[in-house]
Amino acid sequence: MRRGISIAAISALALTMAACGSSDEAKEDTQQPAPAQSAEGDGSAVAGELTIWADDTRSSQVAELSKDFTDKFGVKVNVVQKSESDMDKEFISQVPTGKGPDLIVLAHDRLGSLVSNGVVGTVDIADKAKDFSEAALSGVTYQGQTYGVPYAIENVALVRNNQLSKAEPKSFDEMLAAGKEANVEYPFIVQMGDKGDPYHFYGFQTSFGAPVFKQDDKGSYTTELTLGGEKGEAFADWLAKKGNEKVFDPAITGEIAKQAFLDGKAAFTVTGPWNVSAFREANMDITVLPIPAAGPEAAQPFVGVQGFFPSAKTENQLLVNKFLVDYLATEEAQQKMYDLGKRVPAMPAVAAKISDPDIQGFSEAGKSGAPMPAIPEMSAVWDFWGITEVDVVTGKQQPKEAWSTMVTNIENAIKK
Amino acid sequence: MSKAKTLAPQPKLSWGQWFKELGWRHLIGVLVIIYCAVPLAYVLSASLKKNANLTGSNKLFQEVSFANYARLSETDYWHWILNSLFISSFTAVGTVLMASAAAYAFSRYRFRGREATLTFLLLVQMFPQMLAFVALFLLLLALKDVFPVLGLNSQIGLICVYLGGALGSNTFLMYGFFKTVPKELDEAARIDGASHAQIFWGIIMRLVTPVLAVVGLLSFISSFGDFVIAKVVLQTPDKFTLAVGMYNWAADSRTAPWGLFAAGAVVAAVPVIILFQFLQRYIVSGLTAGGVKG
Amino acid sequence: MDQSTVKTKRFDRFDLSWGFWVKVALMALINALGVYGLLAAWAAESYLTLAVVLVTLIIADVIYFSRRFIPAKYLFPGLAFLLVYQVFVMGYTGFVSFTNYGTGHNSTKADAITQILAQHQKRVPGSPTINTTVVEKNDKLSLAIWDAEKKAVLVGNMQHPLTLVEGAKANDKAITEVPGYQVLKFADLVKRQQEVAGLKAPLTDDPNDGFYVTTDGTKGFLAKSDFRYDEEKDELLDTTNNVVYQPNGEGAFADPEGNTIMPGWRVPVGFANYTNMAHGSDLAWPFFNALVWSFIFAIFSVVSTFAFGLLLALVFHDKRIRGRKIYQSLFILPYAFPAFLSTLVWKGMLNTKFGFINEVLLGGAEIPWLTNGTLAKVSILGVNLWLGFPYMFLICLGALQALPEDIMEAAKIDGAGPIRTLFSVKLPLILVSTMPLLIASFAFNFNNFSLIYMLTGGGPNYPGASLPVGETDILISMVYKIAFEGGSQNYGLASALSILIFLVVGVISYFGLKRSNAMGED
Repeated sequence: MRRGISIAAISALALTMAACGSSDEAKEDTQQPAPAQSAEGDGSAVAGELTIWADDTRSSQVAELSKDFTDKFGVKVNVVQKSESDMDKEFISQVPTGKGPDLIVLAHDRLGSLVSNGVVGTVDIADKAKDFSEAALSGVTYQGQTYGVPYAIENVALVRNNQLSKAEPKSFDEMLAAGKEANVEYPFIVQMGDKGDPYHFYGFQTSFGAPVFKQDDKGSYTTELTLGGEKGEAFADWLAKKGNEKVFDPAITGEIAKQAFLDGKAAFTVTGPWNVSAFREANMDITVLPIPAAGPEAAQPFVGVQGFFPSAKTENQLLVNKFLVDYLATEEAQQKMYDLGKRVPAMPAVAAKISDPDIQGFSEAGKSGAPMPAIPEMSAVWDFWGITEVDVVTGKQQPKEAWSTMVTNIENAIKK
Repeated sequence: MSKAKTLAPQPKLSWGQWFKELGWRHLIGVLVIIYCAVPLAYVLSASLKKNANLTGSNKLFQEVSFANYARLSETDYWHWILNSLFISSFTAVGTVLMASAAAYAFSRYRFRGREATLTFLLLVQMFPQMLAFVALFLLLLALKDVFPVLGLNSQIGLICVYLGGALGSNTFLMYGFFKTVPKELDEAARIDGASHAQIFWGIIMRLVTPVLAVVGLLSFISSFGDFVIAKVVLQTPDKFTLAVGMYNWAADSRTAPWGLFAAGAVVAAVPVIILFQFLQRYIVSGLTAGGVKG
Repeated sequence: MDQSTVKTKRFDRFDLSWGFWVKVALMALINALGVYGLLAAWAAESYLTLAVVLVTLIIADVIYFSRRFIPAKYLFPGLAFLLVYQVFVMGYTGFVSFTNYGTGHNSTKADAITQILAQHQKRVPGSPTINTTVVEKNDKLSLAIWDAEKKAVLVGNMQHPLTLVEGAKANDKAITEVPGYQVLKFADLVKRQQEVAGLKAPLTDDPNDGFYVTTDGTKGFLAKSDFRYDEEKDELLDTTNNVVYQPNGEGAFADPEGNTIMPGWRVPVGFANYTNMAHGSDLAWPFFNALVWSFIFAIFSVVSTFAFGLLLALVFHDKRIRGRKIYQSLFILPYAFPAFLSTLVWKGMLNTKFGFINEVLLGGAEIPWLTNGTLAKVSILGVNLWLGFPYMFLICLGALQALPEDIMEAAKIDGAGPIRTLFSVKLPLILVSTMPLLIASFAFNFNNFSLIYMLTGGGPNYPGASLPVGETDILISMVYKIAFEGGSQNYGLASALSILIFLVVGVISYFGLKRSNAMGED
């Protein structure tokens, strides 16, 4: 045998080479233009294809929707499944390289951060604007510019177990009373978790007149905090009181709240449309109601807008426009998205056709809602907000002091 | 099992002796198994429940339905598991080869920069990888222009990334082991005219089988469970590994299909256990030790 | 071909064995691949890749075709992968730590300008959507628009404002023919999408009057941009109020009063990311707490998992135990499950009220496992022991194999009991071979972000603290919160903190390794 042959080392390299044998991998490359395909009847070929990022829940819906688009326009669409929790971060870091996706499906509250990073492109939907609800449009609009096309609106509402109660409470106390009559473990249950859940609690907070940021006369959020002050502290007091009565409990996570409601242990809960299918599968008889006010004013839950947003550096600008304006902004596509995802449609014309009482209930509850702030400052708020709610509910901190410290901390965090 | 029996031909012990020698070991074993198994029983129970949760489903095995397992076929799960097996197997083999080659060089040769290289290997792994995704993305992007097969969304590209971490602690594990193989063995072979490759393949590698098996297993498990790097590299569901796919399921806690998730995890543990069963006899065989002595 | 250091005649003439051919074949492949890579890199104009491929290839050829460099033959493959995939990542992080890369500063200046202009380009209120078409003349694109009032077709592009073209054919749906120009079909447009998307046909010479743009080639509208960029002066002008914005040296355009417009771009900021940390006084005490806890967590995790793993390995090393294989297989179960799943399960099981541990095992006790500071730390260590001991068990099992049996026998003959043998003979030997692994495990746990993040999220938080950091935050999870959750993503700062953590852990490990003498002579 010949000496000096380090077969081990070389075989390791051979792995790399085996790799290169399978050159078909390269052909599947999503970034490359697809082979020409026939398009819209004129017999000419369309080069190019679209890549869309969507999270686990929506990727199959978007893939289904895209099939119709491909049939109609002859443009291939690749749907890439991304993890919900960090797809926006990846979008922000990948778009500047020019290799990100063409479109991303997101809830609108992350729009502000995409805009200030310059990674989201603009869309002109002036012609279709009248077809969309105002709330949906405002979701894809940021500082007067439109950046996407909405397809659904999502918000939480009060869900009632009809076997346990028939009440349609207008106030929180009415609801608790009605729930107590049902004589179950939880008259009312809402998820909190050890980090708090200001999103689910927001309806109650706004009923005390303490929205998170001030809205200007056009309805856009400014960076002026309004969750503090007397009204905010009144909410904190109420939280402390209800925490003391064990109405709220950080040990109740989303799963526990859902399960308790499913098991018929709770008469009322605050939750979103994402849990409705589970309630139905369990053959529950439920009604979706607006959130009852805990304070003197109306309860306004956060309304999130789901939309498709283009990349600022897409190489397929025309196809993107075709997809967004000529396809997604049509009743047909919006109806399809509803059929696939069962969320309140962004087009009133589509919404009008819906007979599903639960979706209608969410739609009704969302009418009084306030859009989720999309400004990047919002992300400085969540942590302090949730944790303070937990501390107040558990009695770890005095409500008034806790609340005003929280406001100061958030203000400082925003300034940074 | 059978081997353990044949290897232990022992005179009958009295009960007291038996307990003193072996029985207490069984006691510890059972206790540890309980410690290991409680959370896993919980996962198993959740996987058998239609609408499962990871919190509060405290009455174990109340419901036994294989619906979640059946539903795995409706997803890309089986595809992912094949991807994972492919990636992890190649990573494990590559890691074993590279690390053992490196350990051979370190244990048998004194060369300039030897200690510096060893120190460097150890220090490189101290680096917090949290921000790796930005750099990794750029690197694979650049590679894609030249070697498309090593670029983004390529499983072979991912294997290469894993092999980038092959040396690290594995080299040290092997190095410690290689040192226990007496040098007289290879010196004798060398005098007989054997080349360094012959010594490496013919003598050393045969004597260190246990550690090769350990490193292979460790490498297999770590690439099998990794999702941090894999989710940057692999972009389309048909390329995903098990960990990436399941991480995506769990990412949105509002809609996460925990039952499916639990079933997926139970199935995912099977390859690792089978592999361990297979490698166990290498890891704990006393044969190699005898070989060294002889 | 290379030779071993000692050669004898007997082996010298064994040429051309299969090993040789394997080597030749592999080297041929590597060279083919390398040359392919060089050509591809040249074609793709990625010269850095080209240089790296070239150097690697030359080194590989020198090492494997030379008779010298025997250790290098064994080290090269692993090191090559290491340098490309790990050292590059470290270097890049180091580079980022000297920039302001993060929210608002994540791309180039050119991108930022394009984006600012695009974000401020809007349809003129009330202007209708009209039919357009893209036409070509001498390979230059122009936009043709249908003017409904004049009932005429106008053509223009950035160089030439819209002018009327006689004799064009158009109907309500589309412009079909423009004399002197070729009308492009959709498929052609798609091929030149970026050109088409950037196509602007100004009304007049004054861009403030607005310009027509097209969305998909066939439809367009009159748009106006509130901002204009002056390339020579390198400044942005807000045409609505005539405010001038100039680069402020920090990677953004700013007006004279210092108001900036986003997005900005990445610029080097020197040591700012490092010095800023020293100044943030509100960071001082959470930082100190996190530092102390990081050490406790990492050290205790290593010691506990190692002790437990070793104990099990010793106890079950005895070949007489029936069902030994079954025990051993069950012990590695925690390791066989994906760690993030196990962590999520533990989190559920440790829930104060509804967790399995409290509700079932402890009969309804409401012990705040994860929400009380001290208990949360204990829980984390407990969970990490569960997650980590199988690794140590496997390693110790391997290490026990390596113990020379003659030493054990010698100890027995000297009359040492099993406990003494363990502590004075076995343990030191095992420690020597596993010390580097223990140090690596220390480093891994020091940076074990995902466990902390998934189990407690760093909580419980310090009530009213000015940073959302908690009692169980280790350094790396604190870095994550400061850099990524406080309203923006600050890669520059996070990179700087990562580098610092690396230095701390690196120095400790280095000295630990020196003392253990694990690298030295055997």
